[in-house]
Amino acid sequence: MAKRVLIVDDAAFMRMLLRDIITKAGYEVAGEAANGVEAVEKYRELKPDVVTMDITMPEMDGIQAIKKIREIDPEAKIIVCSAMGQQSMVIEAIQAGAKDFIVKPFQHSRVVEALAKVTRE
Amino acid sequence: MSEMDAYLGVFVDEAREHLQNLNDSLLAIEENPDDKEALNEMFRSLHTLKGMAGTMDFERLTKLCHKMENFLDILRKGEILVTSEIVDKLFLSVDMIGKLIDNISETADEGDVNVDEMVSTIEQMMEEREVVEEAEEVKEEKEEIEETEEVLTTLEEEIVHVIKEAGKQGYKPYHLVVRLQPETMLKSARMYMVFKKLEDIGAEILKTIPDVQSIEEEKFDLEVEFFLIAKRDKSDIRKIINTISEIDKIIIEDIKLGEGEAKVKEEKREKVETGSKRRTRLTRTVRVDIEKLDTLMNLMGELVIARSRIVETLKKYQIKDVDESLAQLSRATLDLQNVVMKIRMIPVSFVFNRFPRMVRDLSRELGKKVNLIIRGQETELDRTVVDEIGDPLVHLIRNAIDHGIETPNERIMKGKPPEGTVELTARQEGNSVIIEVVDDGRGLDRMAIQRAAIEKGLLDESAAATMSDEEIYQYIFVSGFSTKKNASEVSGRGVGMDVVKNVIESLNGRVYIQSQPDKGTRVSIVLPLTLAIIQVLLVRVAGNVYAFPIVNIDSAIRASATEIKKVQDRDVIVVRGEIVPITFLRRVFGFNGVEETSDSLNVVIVRTRDQKRGFVVDELLGQEDIVIKSLGKLLSNIPYFGGGAILGDGSIALIMDIAGIPG
Repeated sequence: MAKRVLIVDDAAFMRMLLRDIITKAGYEVAGEAANGVEAVEKYRELKPDVVTMDITMPEMDGIQAIKKIREIDPEAKIIVCSAMGQQSMVIEAIQAGAKDFIVKPFQHSRVVEALAKVTRE
Repeated sequence: MSEMDAYLGVFVDEAREHLQNLNDSLLAIEENPDDKEALNEMFRSLHTLKGMAGTMDFERLTKLCHKMENFLDILRKGEILVTSEIVDKLFLSVDMIGKLIDNISETADEGDVNVDEMVSTIEQMMEEREVVEEAEEVKEEKEEIEETEEVLTTLEEEIVHVIKEAGKQGYKPYHLVVRLQPETMLKSARMYMVFKKLEDIGAEILKTIPDVQSIEEEKFDLEVEFFLIAKRDKSDIRKIINTISEIDKIIIEDIKLGEGEAKVKEEKREKVETGSKRRTRLTRTVRVDIEKLDTLMNLMGELVIARSRIVETLKKYQIKDVDESLAQLSRATLDLQNVVMKIRMIPVSFVFNRFPRMVRDLSRELGKKVNLIIRGQETELDRTVVDEIGDPLVHLIRNAIDHGIETPNERIMKGKPPEGTVELTARQEGNSVIIEVVDDGRGLDRMAIQRAAIEKGLLDESAAATMSDEEIYQYIFVSGFSTKKNASEVSGRGVGMDVVKNVIESLNGRVYIQSQPDKGTRVSIVLPLTLAIIQVLLVRVAGNVYAFPIVNIDSAIRASATEIKKVQDRDVIVVRGEIVPITFLRRVFGFNGVEETSDSLNVVIVRTRDQKRGFVVDELLGQEDIVIKSLGKLLSNIPYFGGGAILGDGSIALIMDIAGIPG
């Protein structure tokens, strides 16, 4: 069965882009969330295998969301989506429990690689 | 061996650079024993030199550098305080390194230098620390891992210690290389994941290359090396690292203590060296044999001549079609010429560098206090010139300190500061470079020089009375002028002064001396920027062609004979309100001519060092680039000419040596 992915990003365009990459790579998109609060809710509701998590978002940012989700599910597999130059944020996210990160602008191959590695773990 | 021979030249060149570096650092350390940067610099140079020497199988050099490196390590950690005694010893050992390099350079062998005594001296100095060290050893071990690069290179011994201890608790040491995929972004974060994964499995990272700070600052290319201990086995660690994305390659191997460990150690040390070098040396260079540059220069010269000849020929046949391509050719040759010239230029610092050390040693030896000020060492000169001026400058500086600067007591008596000053400066003026050695010592003794010159029959008393100080000083350049007997009378100057003059003149340069009693002496060397190609103004005098270097020319004017006036029996002309003495070249060269009464005389106004002079010529012919050719020994004592050149039409022009023409 295809692994299910929750896409979290405040930009609809980015979600669309990710959805495209993710489905083409043979994954199923379980759902989308536009901010951290929504992400936590959807995680609880959908129990996805993987989450792609944007960092800078309104309401609740990605790092807070990662922490909350990990509280719900310590095994949650979260890939952080970051813009260039957000090095310290990424490190913070990893400390918070993110398993991997991908950098915008996304390259298909890197996104796919990250998904593969995280789900195989 | 032959394979190694090929590297010998490079080895010697680079070893000399390190030697210079050692001397510079050591001088800085002497100045300020707390200068951490200088201590580190010296340590690094020794370390690199040791590695180089080891590769080339120069055992004694390796051994000496190794001992010194260890010692420097202790010094920079502040475990032994740097004393003047230590500095002296270090100077001696640096000299020994110099001697070894000299021998290697000349004979490809270390020669008869015995390093054992020096090595044991250093060992003795190191022993002072041993007692303190043992007590603190345990405490230091783990704390310094995240220190900066300088410290990291020396953690080896401690790491080995940790590895041994951890081994007892079931930890295995690994050397791990993680390479990221090209174009990986946020590389630090990526590497951070490696750290995290390793820590998650209870591994302890002892050391990374580059160090942690550099990784955080993303100061690495794609690879990071880890030295770690862990309970998991290799394949586990590989698997765990492999779960991180954007990783290109993972190499993991056991660290074997003993020989194997030493090997890994060397490898990674080399990487640290090259890494830090890349950072400091921003320009990328290629070493080229100077002979190749000479050949290039010669070919360049031929090319310039050939171009001029083509231009001449085409002018004769008035072929217009080629004008454009000819202009292009001219531009290209000119650019090429400039580039070739620049390639040959090196900063005078190449010779200046050695003087701080020399001055230090000499002033100590003579019990004098001397402050050496070096300015303009970035001034560039033709490589051959730089190579040649070393010895003359050594003579001049030696003289300045030995005979110019007084002892501290003497200076105090004269109301001068006890510390004397020797200034060594270089600067470019037009197409010349002026190098000066200025001291604030006792100055030249005109009377003593005059007396000696008269005694030697070089001068008669009545002539001496009319001569200026500067003219009298010139006698110290006469070969053999200073004999043992009157060396002291003329303050010893003259020792080697003829050599100074000869060398400088062979480089088409000149030497001037100014001096004031008790104020000091200034020796100025004026050198041409380059020896090869110059621009000249061609003139005709009595049917022959002569060339004035363009750099010397102020202007070329027309004047009528009536404008020429007599002042104190000299011909002068007023140019823009300035009185300029003029010389009729026809007269100088012994031709008769009518030009003196002509209504329109061609006068070339040139600048000499401190004044303008005019030369009356028959005709101005135009500008040209020429390649200076020496006139050879036979013609070298004709005073008027600095050289000859083959012109575009194949004829020969003599190059005017303006200062050599009597007024």
